[in-house]
Amino acid sequence: MAMMPSGTSGNPYDSLNNTQIEQDLIDPDDANINDLDDPTEPTSDRAPLTGNIQNSRNPLPQSYLNSSIPGEDRRAPQNTIDESVWDTLSRDVMAVWEKMRQVLWPKYLLGGFLQRGGGLGGAERGEGDSLAGGFRGIAGRWPDADVVLQGGMSEGLRDWDLWGPLVFCLLLSLLLSMTASSEQKTVVFSGVFALVWVGEAVVTAQIKLLGGNISFFQSVCIIGYTLFPLVVAALLSAVHLPMIARIPVYIVLIGWSLAAGISILGGSGVVKNRVGIAVYPLFVFYVGLGCLCFIS
Amino acid sequence: MERPQPRAGDLSWRLSSHPITLLFFLGFRISSLLFYILGSLFTENFILVFIVTILLLAADFYYLKNIAGRRLVGLRWWNEVNTASGDSHWVFESQDRSGSAESGAPSQNATDKRFFWLALYAQPAWWVVLAIVSVVRLLNPIWLSLIVIALILTITNTLAFSRCDKFSQASSLASSAMYSGGMAKSLAGGLFSRLFRG
Repeated sequence: MAMMPSGTSGNPYDSLNNTQIEQDLIDPDDANINDLDDPTEPTSDRAPLTGNIQNSRNPLPQSYLNSSIPGEDRRAPQNTIDESVWDTLSRDVMAVWEKMRQVLWPKYLLGGFLQRGGGLGGAERGEGDSLAGGFRGIAGRWPDADVVLQGGMSEGLRDWDLWGPLVFCLLLSLLLSMTASSEQKTVVFSGVFALVWVGEAVVTAQIKLLGGNISFFQSVCIIGYTLFPLVVAALLSAVHLPMIARIPVYIVLIGWSLAAGISILGGSGVVKNRVGIAVYPLFVFYVGLGCLCFIS
Repeated sequence: MERPQPRAGDLSWRLSSHPITLLFFLGFRISSLLFYILGSLFTENFILVFIVTILLLAADFYYLKNIAGRRLVGLRWWNEVNTASGDSHWVFESQDRSGSAESGAPSQNATDKRFFWLALYAQPAWWVVLAIVSVVRLLNPIWLSLIVIALILTITNTLAFSRCDKFSQASSLASSAMYSGGMAKSLAGGLFSRLFRG
C-alpha cells in the first residue's frame, strides 16, 4: 500500500505511523533489534548517521510494532500471497490429510512391531532417527515410550490447524447426543463438546507445565486429530452395537487413540522420567470419552 | 431515472476487482450471523443451529484469513511454531500495492479495501450486539457459548489483520522513501530533529 494522502484514507494508522517511522529509517542495517531506537523514548545521540542505507526493507523498525502482538514482517519461504485459490485449498487439504495419516498409522505401534520383527528400527521414523536410533544402538533395548518421546516432531505437524479438533469434536458430540433421550439431547451435546475442549486444554497445560516444548494450539491440534478412533466408537454406539461386542472393540479403539497421541506428541520433549505423568491425563481423557461412548 | 455513476471506493460490487472473492467473503460473514439469528428465533433445535453456525464461522475464518485477505487487500498473517522451543509467533506478509510504475506493483482497489475493512470491524460488533440481545431475551445461557466462540474467532482475525496492516504500512513507507527519493528528505528530517534535540 502506498502512502495515502492523509485525510482521504480510511485507515486510522496513517497519521500515527508517519512520525514514528521516519526516525528509524536511518538506523544502519547492521544494528540488531536491541540497537534500534525505541521511538517512545527520547532518541539518544549514539545513533550513527553513517550507516549503509541500502537496506530499507529488511530490519524493520520492529521495536514499536512488537508492543501488543509480537510478530515479524517477512516474505514466506514460498510466496503464497498471489497464488490461486485452488493452490491454497489443496495445500491446506494436504496438510490436514498428512495429520490424519499420522493418526491412522501411529508410528509408535509400527516402530514396536518392526523392532520385534528383526531389529529394523530406525528407518521407520523421520528425523527422530539419529537420536532414537543412537539410543537403541547403545542400550540395545525395545523402543519404549521414553525413546519415542525423545524423537523429533515431524515437519507436517508443526503447522497446526483446528479443523480436525473442530470436526471430530462436533461429530463426537453429535453422535453421542443422538442416542440420548430427547429432552437430554442438548445437555449431552454441549456437555461432550465442552468436555472435549476442556480436556484438551487440561492435557496440554499438563504437558506445558512439565516442560514440554510444544505450543498450546499445536498440542490441542494433535489431541483433536487423535480423537478419530473415538469418533468411530461413538458411531458404533449410535448404530447400537451390542454391549458384549463393545468391550473388546472399544478397548482397541482407545488403545489406538492413545498410541497415536503418544507417538505424535513424541517431539514435545517431555523430560524422560516424567513421561508417565505427562501421558497419564491423556490416558484418562481417552478412557473417559471411551466410557461415554460405551454407556450411550 | 438515471442512476448516478459510481465513484471509485463506493460500496458497489461492480467496482470490485475480485467480485467473486468479495461475494464469497461477504456471503460467509453474513450467513453465519443470519443463521444464528434465524435459528435462535424460529427453532428450538439448538444442536442443529450450533453445528451449522460453528461450521459457517470456521469457513468464514479460514476464507478471510487465507483467501479474502490476500486477494482483496494483499495482506496475510499466520502463526508459526518454533519446533525447538515450542514458542509461537505471528508472521505477517503483505503485497506491494502501491501501483507505482517503477516496481510494477498492482494498485489497490478502493472498493475492495472499504468492503474488507468495514466487514472486518462490523462483524465482532454485530456479535456483541447479539450477545446483549440474548442476555436481554433471557435465552438459555447455552446460546451464549456459541456467541463467545464467534467473538473469539472474529476478533482474532480483526486484531491480526489490523496488526498486519500496520506492518505493511511500515514496510511500504520504507520502500516508498527509497523509490521516490524521499530518503534524502527523511534523512535530513531525522538529522534535523536529532540536532535540535541533541
